[in-house]
Amino acid sequence: MPMLPKRTKFRKQQRGKLRGNATRGNYVAYGDFGLQSLEAHWLTARQIEAGRIAAQHFLRRQGKIYIRVFPDKPVSKKPLETRMGKGKAEAEYWAARIKPGTVLYEIAGVNEELAKQAFARIAQKMPVRCRFVGRRLAV
Amino acid sequence: MSHETPTLPAERRERHGSRYAQRLRKAGRLPAIVYGHGSDPMSISVDAKETLAHLHHGNHVFNLSVDGGDTETCLVKDLQFGYMGDDVIHVDFARVNLDEKVRVLIHLDFHGTPAAGKKGGFNVVHDLAEIEVECAVRNIPENLRVDLDGFEDIVHVSDLTLPDGVVATTPGETLVIHVQAPVGASDEEEDGEDDAGAETSEG
Repeated sequence: MPMLPKRTKFRKQQRGKLRGNATRGNYVAYGDFGLQSLEAHWLTARQIEAGRIAAQHFLRRQGKIYIRVFPDKPVSKKPLETRMGKGKAEAEYWAARIKPGTVLYEIAGVNEELAKQAFARIAQKMPVRCRFVGRRLAV
Repeated sequence: MSHETPTLPAERRERHGSRYAQRLRKAGRLPAIVYGHGSDPMSISVDAKETLAHLHHGNHVFNLSVDGGDTETCLVKDLQFGYMGDDVIHVDFARVNLDEKVRVLIHLDFHGTPAAGKKGGFNVVHDLAEIEVECAVRNIPENLRVDLDGFEDIVHVSDLTLPDGVVATTPGETLVIHVQAPVGASDEEEDGEDDAGAETSEG
């Protein structure tokens, strides 16, 4: 079941713009390794779920997968063969706003080789270029 | 546990601002600042490759020799990262005495598997990657070895064996690792349905 918010204050949103780079959620926080986006994009709930399933099937219940993004933006789409006007359409799907640097998934409890292979499978499902990252230095 | 303090040659920075800092980084230098102990703060730059190699090795304390002058013992107080989250772009050094007590984050180096984690399907989840400790500057360990073989399924901070003179400031009841049981049969069915749904939607 793709992720979506339990309730929202407003049913529809304006599109907005994806400017700049990620300043939050741009490092591995929970797991040992992460998959980081290198581009800006809207990541749909179905794409997030497809990535999770791809990794879970590969890992076969080893380790723990963390999903670091949540699709909280409703995206509306007019039905086919509809004339223009008559107001904004209903929400078609939900999307997460991804900026360059956003960590999309994290994996804990597996070795680096296995994590790389799992992330390669997730990256196949992503609409953006991604890279493999580890935990950063702590002082 | 204590180790030799590496000496870093540093150069004073006369010009400030992001443009000059960027030029330094392109030239293989790392902008930094030294402050503390009542002296004026001083903008410096250090060799990026050498400094990062020491930091990755777990060093927290350096002897800084600014423009070939006397050395000052400094503790790495803070690191600034670039937008991709992992490239160090600036270092904060705080002047310290070797006997001064400081709080630092120490990386945990896990070895072995707890007894419960050896069963099929059970996963060892690392809840902490670093712990905060308080100790004298000369006693700061590079990392903390955690042997999991002697534990059953859960390790708390209070269970860790720390070197002499090192006290954990992370609360004792904080989880370091725990063993996660395999998902139950009912969850498996549910997951299977999910997967099937996702596959049809993909096709």
